[in-house]
Amino acid sequence: MRKVYIVGASLLKVDEQWGHSIDSLVSQVVDGLAEVRPWKIDSIYVANALGEILQNQANLGAIVAEDIGLAGVPALRVEAGGASGAAALVSGYQAILSGLADTVLVIGVEKLSDATPEEAVFLPSLSERYDLVGFQGVTESALAAMMYRMYLERYELPQEMVAQFPVIMHEHASRAPHAQYQFKTTLDNVLSSPVVSPPLRRLETTAPADGAAALILSSSDALPTIQHEQVVELAGAASSTDIVFPFDREDPLKLSAATRAFFEALARAGLSREQVKVLEIHDSYSILANLILESIGYSEEGASGVDAKNGMFDYGGKVVINAFGGLKARGHPLGATGVYQAAEIFLQLTGRAGACQVDGAKYGAMISLSGLGSAAYALVMKEG
Amino acid sequence: MHAVFRPPVNWRHRRFRYKLVVWRCLNCGAVHHYATSICRRCRSNRIDEDKLPDRARLITYTVVKNPPIAFEKQAPYIVGLVEFEDGTKLVAGITDCDPEELKPGTELERVVRKIAEDGESGLIVYGYKFRPAITRGR
Repeated sequence: MRKVYIVGASLLKVDEQWGHSIDSLVSQVVDGLAEVRPWKIDSIYVANALGEILQNQANLGAIVAEDIGLAGVPALRVEAGGASGAAALVSGYQAILSGLADTVLVIGVEKLSDATPEEAVFLPSLSERYDLVGFQGVTESALAAMMYRMYLERYELPQEMVAQFPVIMHEHASRAPHAQYQFKTTLDNVLSSPVVSPPLRRLETTAPADGAAALILSSSDALPTIQHEQVVELAGAASSTDIVFPFDREDPLKLSAATRAFFEALARAGLSREQVKVLEIHDSYSILANLILESIGYSEEGASGVDAKNGMFDYGGKVVINAFGGLKARGHPLGATGVYQAAEIFLQLTGRAGACQVDGAKYGAMISLSGLGSAAYALVMKEG
Repeated sequence: MHAVFRPPVNWRHRRFRYKLVVWRCLNCGAVHHYATSICRRCRSNRIDEDKLPDRARLITYTVVKNPPIAFEKQAPYIVGLVEFEDGTKLVAGITDCDPEELKPGTELERVVRKIAEDGESGLIVYGYKFRPAITRGR
């Protein structure tokens, strides 16, 4: 049976890259794939969420193909909000499994630092229904804050059970050279940082970030013709959608798109959840870490905070989440984030994760969300 | 940045924004804020116009301290999740009160207020908000 492999990964430090444009970030990140030869790419997927607004630049398929000297190669841009990168990867996986492509280049790129502070609040909120939510001045952070409050009230928990996740993420990012925020923090710092929308604090959210990451996917048929160092099998990928307005869902605290995507991807890979030792989750708000871990079965409902406190999601625990700091501390360059997650799992499974290495990890998985779970994309990888 | 509010959009949504006129599925009861001929929940094509009640109850709320475009001058402001008798839920600005006056279950009534201004020369848009009920009856 035809299989899909990741044969190379490249990522830039997530940062405010004032001196760089989308084009120059793309050319830099693709330069990092120079070890993979020959450069015969059948198809290019470019993940980006906000180029037409922040850089007045749409049509990023053709533009990026030319930027990297591949004008002529089929290319398109994929947008699925914060999950654009993962959506592009799922598309590349499907293109290879369909037999129509043997080698696919997936690039995620985003430049959020071009936004004003008000745009930085407004634009991520565009993943929610504007006519119902944005029009009323309700930001995505405000929706997340109301889910957060509901969570604490339903399970009668102290805020620490949610607010500790950023502390874990910053600890992990302190060892990750490509992370945006490499400082450690404490629970006191998180809980005394400015209020964004109560109970949500500044250190429980992300900040504008620029970044680019890229992967080359290859079919098992083409693998012998490609020069590469180590490979990772992209063993399963799946996606799902949900009702967009979280409070219209049967239970706003259950991310059922994440549940469906994750278990379908695991099933395609023929793996069980227990075998996954590295997991990248979409913690654009601290509360989403809790909700994801509970929705994909790593914790009982309301118990992810206690589990995290007991070290279940850290080195030495059941599974290491966000070994490079996740969206919170590695950073969340919106459309590029999913490609970062996949590149980080590639580094783990090829033993190149440096100080962030999870020893003995053979299998890794990632989950990426659009908005507050209206779409979810999951990928599962195996050591090559 | 492009215009946030556009005249055709504002015109199209006027009855929903000013009066909470909706399109209700006669099969499952689901509410749509846009004209539709197919239900987003059950795919029935039995849809009819309806109007949400003028009263609702507060489920939960928060305060927006970091405002988005067009709301810069208003922050901080209260936003809440409200539920109508039929179970329909909306988020909306909560006005004429302080956060301390609100708790889950607070009875609210719909008012029409200015929502936001799109910069110096853009549209000024109006729509529904909710305030703690001060008039009688439901």
